[in-house]
Amino acid sequence: MRRELDQCDLAIVERLSRDARVSNREIAEQLGVTEGTVRSRVKRMEHEKQIRLTAVTNIDRFHDAALAYIWIEVERSDQTRDVAGRLAGINELGFVGVMLGRADILVITMVRNAEHLARFVHKRISVIDGVRGTQSTLGVNFIKHDYRMARIVG
Amino acid sequence: MKKVGEHAGGGVIDLDDTDQAIIALLRQDGRMAYRAIARALDIAENTVRGRVRRMEESNTLRLVAVTDIEAAGYGMLLAIGVQVEGRAPEKVAEDMAAIQEVFSVNVVVGTQDIEILVVARDQADLTELITDKLGRVDGVRRLTPAMALDVLKNQPDWVPFHHAT
Repeated sequence: MRRELDQCDLAIVERLSRDARVSNREIAEQLGVTEGTVRSRVKRMEHEKQIRLTAVTNIDRFHDAALAYIWIEVERSDQTRDVAGRLAGINELGFVGVMLGRADILVITMVRNAEHLARFVHKRISVIDGVRGTQSTLGVNFIKHDYRMARIVG
Repeated sequence: MKKVGEHAGGGVIDLDDTDQAIIALLRQDGRMAYRAIARALDIAENTVRGRVRRMEESNTLRLVAVTDIEAAGYGMLLAIGVQVEGRAPEKVAEDMAAIQEVFSVNVVVGTQDIEILVVARDQADLTELITDKLGRVDGVRRLTPAMALDVLKNQPDWVPFHHAT
């Protein structure tokens, strides 16, 4: 469990979550703190992987993109961590979670269509040692994803 | 190259290799100086500035801070399947999208009608979310949750911008 952000951190992050390129000086003026405070807190939050300043892109700008949920069952329960670790290394996957209930592992990815999904599962997921079976669900309408909430890893 | 389509609220643009290269660098560091990007890609700083502005104005790209869910105080993450009865799944999905702890909402086809991802601070918070908020959304027949024991990755590159404030 990583350290939680305090009120000042949260105020800085709130401003940056709307525009990562707003200057430290402008944030400092708005919050009534020094520029040095903002700079050091941003640096610390980035260093401790509490926040990431990054680019996000809009899926609605693309014709051929659908979200696919792939539920994975492993052969033996002691293989779950290994399989999840291998899956986390696949760039195309936006979410990888070890789950309690419904299946052993859930991964989420973006595909062009059902055929692309089938090929992706066959070539990239089913080939992983320890994967017993998969069940996929194709999204037809991606309503919301709050990109400000993430799991920040190394 | 990916084909970019027409969408309400922004002009139509195609992303070329230069745009994609700029996006790749900004994903690593959303505050990277335009001059440094220009040097890395061997193009003019004004080109970088113009490309970024064009992508931002067409609602294709945003440069933002994303927060780790644990650092934000959310210790629990669940994937919940939603079965709907007597109401259009899109309507139910829209109601769920308005709930802050629900950070992802997808209308799907199959056993479930909607798949959502939610976060909660603790068990009491989770109980309130499931029974008092999600369970009471008009049209919800059944919720089938799975709790994440370990989230190894949660950061899709491509997301819808609507509902993001």
